[in-house]
Amino acid sequence: MTWLNSHPLTFLVFAPAILGFLILALPHALGRLSRMLGFMGALAFFVLSLAWLLGHGGGADISERAPWFTLVGLPVDYALGVDGLNLWLVILTTFLVPLTMLGTWDSLKDRIGTFAAMFLLLETGMLGALMAQDLFFFYLFWEAMLIPMYFMIGVWGGDERRYAANKFFLFTLSGSLLWLVALLYLANKAGGFNPAIMGQAASALPFGVQCWLFIAFAVAFAIKVPLFPLHTWLPDAHVQAPTAGSVILAGVLLKLGGYGFIRFAIPMFPQAALHYAQPIAILSVIAIIYGALVAMVQRDIKKLVAYSSVSHMGFVMLGLASFTVIGTQGAMLQMLNHGISTGALFLLVGMLYDRAHTRMIADFGGVAVKMPVFTTFFLIVTLSSIGLPLTNGFVGEFWILNGTFLSGFSWGRLYASIATSGVLLGAVYMLWMFKRVFWGPENKDEDSGTHHLHTDLNAREIAVMLPIVVLIIWMGVHPRTFVAVSEAPVTALLKEAKAPAPRTFVLKPAVHEAPAVPAAQAPAPREGHAAEPAAHEVHR
Amino acid sequence: MSLTPSQWAALLPLILPALGACLIPLMALDKDQATSKWIRVVMYGTALLAVGASFWYLTDLWNTGAQPSFHQLRMDRLAQFTGIFVLVAAALTILQSWDHFHQEGWVKGETLSLLLFSVTGMMLFASTSHFVVLFLGLELFSIPLYALVGTVRARPESAEGGMKYFLTGAVASSCFLMGGVLIYGLSGTLDLAAAALTLKAQGLALDPLVLAGAALLLLGFLFKVSAVPFHQWTPDAYEASPHPIAGFMSVATKGVAFIALLRIFPGSLAPLGTVGVKMQAVVAVLAVATLVIGNLTALVQTNVKRMLAYSSISHAGYLMLGFVAGTPAAYDGVLFYLVIYLAMNMGAFGLLTAFGLVGEKTTFDDLRGLGWKRPAMGISAAIFMLSLAGIPPLGGFYGKYMIFRELVGTGHVGMAILGVLASLVSAYYYLRFLVALFLQAPGAEAERLASDRPAVHAPLAGATVLVCAAIVLAGGFLQTFLADGFARRALVDGLGLIR
Repeated sequence: MTWLNSHPLTFLVFAPAILGFLILALPHALGRLSRMLGFMGALAFFVLSLAWLLGHGGGADISERAPWFTLVGLPVDYALGVDGLNLWLVILTTFLVPLTMLGTWDSLKDRIGTFAAMFLLLETGMLGALMAQDLFFFYLFWEAMLIPMYFMIGVWGGDERRYAANKFFLFTLSGSLLWLVALLYLANKAGGFNPAIMGQAASALPFGVQCWLFIAFAVAFAIKVPLFPLHTWLPDAHVQAPTAGSVILAGVLLKLGGYGFIRFAIPMFPQAALHYAQPIAILSVIAIIYGALVAMVQRDIKKLVAYSSVSHMGFVMLGLASFTVIGTQGAMLQMLNHGISTGALFLLVGMLYDRAHTRMIADFGGVAVKMPVFTTFFLIVTLSSIGLPLTNGFVGEFWILNGTFLSGFSWGRLYASIATSGVLLGAVYMLWMFKRVFWGPENKDEDSGTHHLHTDLNAREIAVMLPIVVLIIWMGVHPRTFVAVSEAPVTALLKEAKAPAPRTFVLKPAVHEAPAVPAAQAPAPREGHAAEPAAHEVHR
Repeated sequence: MSLTPSQWAALLPLILPALGACLIPLMALDKDQATSKWIRVVMYGTALLAVGASFWYLTDLWNTGAQPSFHQLRMDRLAQFTGIFVLVAAALTILQSWDHFHQEGWVKGETLSLLLFSVTGMMLFASTSHFVVLFLGLELFSIPLYALVGTVRARPESAEGGMKYFLTGAVASSCFLMGGVLIYGLSGTLDLAAAALTLKAQGLALDPLVLAGAALLLLGFLFKVSAVPFHQWTPDAYEASPHPIAGFMSVATKGVAFIALLRIFPGSLAPLGTVGVKMQAVVAVLAVATLVIGNLTALVQTNVKRMLAYSSISHAGYLMLGFVAGTPAAYDGVLFYLVIYLAMNMGAFGLLTAFGLVGEKTTFDDLRGLGWKRPAMGISAAIFMLSLAGIPPLGGFYGKYMIFRELVGTGHVGMAILGVLASLVSAYYYLRFLVALFLQAPGAEAERLASDRPAVHAPLAGATVLVCAAIVLAGGFLQTFLADGFARRALVDGLGLIR
């Protein structure tokens, strides 16, 4: 137990993967046992994360750091940490995994044990990426996360699953590979992957270089968010993924993009980030409006929810681009909101699909008569997604718009006004869909979806939805619970970004110089072999 | 002539496989060798014994730190590294070929003998800077390989592939010979290290003939690593050869050629500074071409072996990027990459044997659904493919990481961006392998055929696949041990590159 007391984060990150590998080793015939084992494990990790992370009077910073290895002269740290910026995202992850497993208990018929294993491996990837405090370590998790998600979409997905899985994988990989080059460039200058030191090294570089580096970081994260126009993988992935995959994709994976901005891209390149605040805001506003308009014309409910994600995540990016405390805090809250509300929407759509085997809006009508309990939950989640006051959606969007309006940027008021119409459009597409699916006369057609609805939600499904509803109301009434811890780090971060303290970082010379060479003699960067005759002494 | 113990020590690692290679044909004299199981067991046992003894001896040398030499043959740490590398590849090949040749119904002793001669040649090739010994090694490892490619004479494609490989290889060898002759003619010495010093002293470092000689030598190496534009033989030869032999060629030939290139160009010819820089420029241009053509051509392949052939071409491109960076740490990355590449590629070719794909039935469609039927092989396949694509936390990622890091560090940011884009493209065709294994159900016809066929029985190949998967995983978590404890020490003690 002493090991656990000093390494709670290590346990939280890697225990799911260990359980996942154990489940992979079980034979196929034990699928049901594997599923149960996976769920119990995920539930235990959730309880432990609550106990450990919130136990000490509400979120003291916990961190573990140790040197890991040094390769080609660059030290890499094994560094995990939970602080105000990621505490609630970590808990959201550990919360959503068991909840989703329970919510999609019977959705899949084949290879359920392997699916549970993939899910747990994904949990390790997500938690590791959220907690990593060293950029190399973060990169490992960021990339490794793709593998289980690829298989979740590709094996258990819909008809176009192979296309969607490949697109998801390659799109995300393209951003992160270019980012890797930027990472290596900066690590060479800083002599390591510690974000704080890399940030200092970045501030000593010419502004143009900083801008390029920021763009490389921003594109990698923006693909994950996804920010218009890099969002095209999202609808495919969401629609083709099995319900559980969609929930986790919306609930956690997209958050990692926003989190990457607030944890790495903005603090490390504050000037460049400020410089590009307007372009990011423009793209965010386009995403908000465009996502909403496209969502409006969708015929498939799941696709509609997928495009609503584009719109909602646009708000997150707008909040970050405002560079105000309230806007950024709003973005933090909006990330949690979106995880809860959109995750719940995907779960509900999945429950409907399991019964009706269709997701087309036109196939429904009058569902409210047949499934009153389901309709009640759907309505609550819909209202939260729209941003009705007293639900979580309202607080986040209000803060973001408020922050943008008061940002002091010349464009702030205009963009806030345009984005506000996105809230309105959100109400339009959600309520219109709701009206067509749930209200109106019952669709009596033999082939219709409504016709195949025989049972309302069972106890298991109600047990899944109840905590979500509680959270929706809680976050709407008392959001302070969820943003209090991030206030101090966000304030500090923005203060630093707007008025950077003078830094005196001396860029290292080429780091791969042998340490024996005195610094004064260190030659200029070498050109091929010519400039380094001594190193090529031939043995004889 | 009596040899000192130290000279014996330098020679023994080569003598042992050569001895095995000479003994095996004697056992194969019995014309019933294909039917008599115990003869086959003894032949394979002898081959493994020869390889194992040499491996054991080399690891012992490595651990004591001794670097014996016999005239022009230097069994230094780099040569020991090469020896261990080649012997591991050979052992995996022998184990896989037991299963593969039984599946093909073509078990012959001469394949083992040829393989062991090739191993001897490879160890010779990478342990000298004397031109004649170098050429001897080159031919000693190439000629058996030409024969091995065409070894399954029952299949006409096999002979065709072997012939293609032989003809192009012979041209490359003669170019290599010509390069050596030019340098010898100007310097009057066959030892390339001494020749470089002589040429420098005579002020001939920039003589066009020296440049031409160096370029021809380089061409010989680049042919063996299958760099564009000397790559055309690769897909045909791999497709024609038995799977284990294709794996051995893709790994060992490329590996020793890169190590010998390292020994000659940044090593022996270093005194001719400008020549090195010019050759580096050539390597840079060809690396770009190799990455682009290798990856783009691999995209459209339908045959797994051709895909793996183009993939091995593109991996030559990444390794060449290490030479473009040209720092000791980059060479360290190259050697590290080679170790991981050995496991990835031997594993990938071993999978074909483990899945029981014989003859020409090696298209992506033949792989459909096999990952679910054979989960351990499926997971290993995922490890190999993702590692080849360079996805962390697997070994292949660290190899690319080390090379790209040095590229960026030496100011070749553009090359690094090209490199990562190339690996993005490569991810697509590696995923196709996994798509076939896991995401596609086998066709009805294939199901019916599979139910008629006896179950695939390839325990040895399966075991080698698992070993390779373990090495690739280890590359992801024991990267410092491999890079610092193994690859770096080969460079430091063997070549004196890092101090």
